[in-house]
Amino acid sequence: MTELIFYFIAVCTCVFAFLTVTARDIFHCAVWLAFCLLSVAGIYFYLDAEFVGVIQVLVYIGGIITLFIFAIKLTAHIDDKTILQTNKQVLPSALAAAVFFYLLFKVIGFDPWAKIQPDVQVISLKQLGESLMTTYALPFEFISLLLLAAMVGAIVIGKVKR
Amino acid sequence: MIPLGFFVAISAVLFCLGIYGVLIRRNVVGILISIELILNAANINLVAFNKYLGTPDGMGQIFALFVVAIAAAASVVGLVLVIAIYRNGKSIFADDYNLMKW
Repeated sequence: MTELIFYFIAVCTCVFAFLTVTARDIFHCAVWLAFCLLSVAGIYFYLDAEFVGVIQVLVYIGGIITLFIFAIKLTAHIDDKTILQTNKQVLPSALAAAVFFYLLFKVIGFDPWAKIQPDVQVISLKQLGESLMTTYALPFEFISLLLLAAMVGAIVIGKVKR
Repeated sequence: MIPLGFFVAISAVLFCLGIYGVLIRRNVVGILISIELILNAANINLVAFNKYLGTPDGMGQIFALFVVAIAAAASVVGLVLVIAIYRNGKSIFADDYNLMKW
């Protein structure tokens, strides 16, 4: 039963990711990306990483997708149907991506860790918070600094100059 | 239980689709959307390896959280740059902007 759920989530993820890169309308593209990220959050829940899954839904679908839709709508009237959305390198790009995927697939298939069984212990939210505040306190603070810098930079760049 | 290779395979599919999207899109917002796919592929790997190889302090999940935060910062700056560029040149297609080409 759990295997069936996993296969369903996996197929959803791959199909939505494919639709994201092939959709013609850029707005549809953003909506398919939202579905794809929701399926990835499902994978996190399946792997007992509830906190990462919740953060994925909150930050990605609640924040980043909204930002993408704002950016698409602020640069509107570009999405009319006559303008070409892809450049001239579709075939070489598809070939390169397929060859790279084939190589990755070979590596995954050959390596012995493809058959490793999972660790039984589940990392609780308490443990996660403790290590975030002790072992990883310095990178945590740097992330907050980075977010502050990104926010200030976005305001400065986006301001209309008179 | 599903073997680890399946999660790595999903991650590989997402990564390759993201690379394909980055290469073919003319719209800059489309390129940023494909980059989000690539970052998610990395995140799936981090969380899956953390689950299967078992670190005591949840290192993989914490790194996945950091990747989400950095992706948010990157897409904020990227989208603001797109809007600033659109205000200047009235186009968001990557091949219209070659003014930094020598």
